[in-house]
Amino acid sequence: MSTASTLTTPPAWRLPLLVLAAGAVSFFALPDQLGLVTRIAIMALLVLSLDLVVGIAGLATLGQAAMFGAGAYGAGLFALHLHGDPLLGLMVGCAAGALLAFLTGAFVLRYQGFTFLMLTVAVSQIAASLVQRGRDWTGGDDGLTGYTVAPLLGQFNFDLEGRTAAIYSVAVLAGACWLARRIVNSPFGLAVRGIHENRARMAALGTPVFLRLLGMYTLAGGLAGAAGALAAQTQGVVGLDSLSFGLSAELLVMLVLGGAGRLHGALIGALVFTLLHHTAASINPYHWLFVVGGVLMAVVLVPPEKAWSWLRARLGRPQAGRQVTGRPEAGPQDAERAAEVPR
Amino acid sequence: MPQTRDLSLRTRRRAAFSTAGLCALLLAAAFGASPALAQSASIKVGIVAPFSGPFAHYGTLFRNGAEAYVASQGGKLAGKTVEFIYRDTGGPNPGLTRTLVQELIVKDKVDYLGGFVFTPNALAAAPLAQQSQTPMVVFNAATSAITDRSEFIIRTSYTLWQVTVPLAQWASKNGIKKVVTAVTDYGPGIDGEKAFKSEFAKQGGTVVESIRMPISTTDFAPFVQRIKASGAQAVYTFLPGGPPNLGFVKAYNENGLAKAGIRFLGTAETDEYDLPKFGDAAVGLTTAFHYSAAHPSAANQKFIAALKARDANAVVNYAVVGAWDGMHVIHKMIEATGGQRDGVKAIAAVRGLQWESPRGPVRIDPKTRHIVQNVYLRQVQKRGNELVNVELQNFGPQIDWGLDK
Amino acid sequence: MTLLLNIALDGVAYGMVLFIIAVGMSVTLGLMRFVNLSHGAFAMCGGYAAALMVREAGFSFWLALPLAVLATGLAGAVIEALVLRHLYRRSELDQVLFTIGLSFVLIASANALAGPQVQLIALPPLLAQPVDLGWRTLPAQRLFVIAVGLAVAAAAAWTVAYTRFGVWLRAAVDHPDTAATLGIPIRLVQCASFAAGAALAGLGGVLGAELMPLEPYYALKYLVLVLVVVAVGGMGSISGSLLAALALGTVETASKYLLSGWGSLPFFLAMALLLAWRPQGLLRR
Repeated sequence: MSTASTLTTPPAWRLPLLVLAAGAVSFFALPDQLGLVTRIAIMALLVLSLDLVVGIAGLATLGQAAMFGAGAYGAGLFALHLHGDPLLGLMVGCAAGALLAFLTGAFVLRYQGFTFLMLTVAVSQIAASLVQRGRDWTGGDDGLTGYTVAPLLGQFNFDLEGRTAAIYSVAVLAGACWLARRIVNSPFGLAVRGIHENRARMAALGTPVFLRLLGMYTLAGGLAGAAGALAAQTQGVVGLDSLSFGLSAELLVMLVLGGAGRLHGALIGALVFTLLHHTAASINPYHWLFVVGGVLMAVVLVPPEKAWSWLRARLGRPQAGRQVTGRPEAGPQDAERAAEVPR
Repeated sequence: MPQTRDLSLRTRRRAAFSTAGLCALLLAAAFGASPALAQSASIKVGIVAPFSGPFAHYGTLFRNGAEAYVASQGGKLAGKTVEFIYRDTGGPNPGLTRTLVQELIVKDKVDYLGGFVFTPNALAAAPLAQQSQTPMVVFNAATSAITDRSEFIIRTSYTLWQVTVPLAQWASKNGIKKVVTAVTDYGPGIDGEKAFKSEFAKQGGTVVESIRMPISTTDFAPFVQRIKASGAQAVYTFLPGGPPNLGFVKAYNENGLAKAGIRFLGTAETDEYDLPKFGDAAVGLTTAFHYSAAHPSAANQKFIAALKARDANAVVNYAVVGAWDGMHVIHKMIEATGGQRDGVKAIAAVRGLQWESPRGPVRIDPKTRHIVQNVYLRQVQKRGNELVNVELQNFGPQIDWGLDK
Repeated sequence: MTLLLNIALDGVAYGMVLFIIAVGMSVTLGLMRFVNLSHGAFAMCGGYAAALMVREAGFSFWLALPLAVLATGLAGAVIEALVLRHLYRRSELDQVLFTIGLSFVLIASANALAGPQVQLIALPPLLAQPVDLGWRTLPAQRLFVIAVGLAVAAAAAWTVAYTRFGVWLRAAVDHPDTAATLGIPIRLVQCASFAAGAALAGLGGVLGAELMPLEPYYALKYLVLVLVVVAVGGMGSISGSLLAALALGTVETASKYLLSGWGSLPFFLAMALLLAWRPQGLLRR
């Protein structure tokens, strides 16, 4: 199974190029909505980091917002107390996210499945409580404000129209896409994908499973932290909502919407969901929930490949086999299949 | 093998499906971006408030107050039509607020900003108002430090220092020597706690315990028990309007605190939006606040009539008044600038502005740009079938004591 | 001493509400391995149904309560039979996506139906009256909640241990493939337990309306708490859910009495420690 997917992984430069192209198009097509473009780029980066953990490593997590928040507060505090340079702040945010991921991952990665999921929730809620408690440092519920970000590369001011912010975010996103693709294609990435598919077998082969997963979790934390730094720098404020459970849940929804495991799905999911929220919310705040809820249910209930295979059958092509989606874990799926027998 | 193909088919098909949707949305957004029939004679006011979520009532109240004001002026302000653009923050969400305000300024090119229920949202918008020189009128957010963040901010609501200082003075004069404070652990709540403690100490009283309640609390029974156990004669409290306020006051009533002899010293807790929900148990609660719907003045009667003319069931409370007076300030700014976009001139024109608001005589403090107003001592009483805040005493004009340091 | 009694009393009341809502999700998760993130929405539906019946239709609370519970159970059965059963074979992520979508739609429906404000359930005088326990006064409703919680726990335990349905349920949770081959009507068990879970969630929604205010976002807001109880208690374990709910409810209450400046930190810390100690659930090996 894995050999086929190795052969079909696209080269590392393709996705970043697409991102840059999309960024350029939106820059010229929507010159007064660059704030939205920036927001989409930041969300896309965050969901990309989630894809590394959920899609590649196969670890469903609801705590990615903690790393995002760590990066945001890290970069914000850095700009407030030490230095306003955005690139340095970006590195600080990245490091903060990676550090938090490393420290918490060392604990939570010892568990699996639902337990792991709930522990990630606990970690992010504890982080949120600590940030709220430390309001003298973080501003608590009022948010961290009052810091100024120096011009990018010493020249480009963060202007009101958001031009610098948009170019900056899209560029960082493109770089992260390249990095993510390289990681996924590397031997390390292959090992992690192997662990996703069959943990026992990889362990039997001698792969240090825990260390590989911790490594991927940390890298994803770094990317999430970078997204947080971008958010802090382009928005001028860091709120407690950046660590919320609601954000983590939204990220997961965006990822599954776009398709987990292929990296570009993360970007598409973030794009579609954010655009949907933005356009629908300006029409009627509650109707947007009807729309999004309906879309989510439709995407799951009417799996596109069922329609696809029906179409192929009509056109006389051989039908694709029965779908197998998600993680090929032993145990629960067997139980499900057995339970469905008397129909 | 079919599995891999299906996997890539699935994600590719999903990608195609999503991309189709995305193209449609991009088109919609692009069309939205082009300004439609820009009327140069109309003034654009962007109102930023929650229109969804547990605090959605604020958005509706702002809308009612703002639109009623314009209607009461004959539909135009200083001869210009006013176009309201409403944006939903959903709650305290500074990142989203910043994006919305940026769009309002850059894309919609609003002349004035209004609204702002939550402190973090107001703080997030302040740098944008400053950079773009757009006057920003805060209809609600009550932390003192907000008006310091930009010279273009005017506030027509209140601050905790403003309403708490006279309350502390009154409490001390009325034989209350020991008080316990119970506030929500966020900006305005902490302001209120500080204000009460400092003023009460100045008057010779003691605050025996300071309880801070997490903002997400829904079960207030433990806090009410702590208040009972503290041995104080009264409890000073502040919570955000909506579910927290409702929960706390109900817990106060249901756990027999009044019977235990612990007086209630509140500020915004008995506002007319929540008041009917407490039932008769709320009779006798004492608060110090700047607006009561039962305020006996001609201006207030006109205000209420204007609101009821648009909607007979409209709620009349401090949030609506904040929007009404906020629009009055914007009205004067439009007058002073002749409808042109000039933030500096607009702000200069309204520093020191005085007028008779539905709440009483008010003016904009030229130094702090915050509204100076009368604060009243009120008590909940039953009039007919309704619960109202009856003004017992007028503490006189109060400034924002939090900034007067 | 009074402090400890207060913590115990308020903690147990809060814990009982959590238990009543969470037990259904625990059974569903243990039985069908179905991640149902719309469980909070069922609690909300029950609460809304009761609130609207009392306020708009003028029913008495004692009539509205069982009706609301039945209605929610019925709704659960219908949704399960028509839609959710097809998702049992899908991946967990698909289930998450679908049930979150369902929650969104239910939130939007609640708002469209009743507006964004909090729905209050007018309690009958019997429940609203303050009860003087000597060291403190509390509304009778709290004691009612504790009593109902104990009754639910007892009924669930009895059902599982002494009825045929309970035997089927235990078999289906422990060895689904064997149970199916033995002729146990798995579909019936699944549908009935889902409906029962939904009904109990509705009950919890009504009883907990004082502690967890009913407003449209209720469906997602308290979902975390329910998930925590289910995780700590162990999927499929009713007694585990009870123990977890009581323990966590007490921790949360104690933190409000003693450490209120720390927010929900003690709760999640306790949860993380309990999970780390017993990853499969409190009462599982």
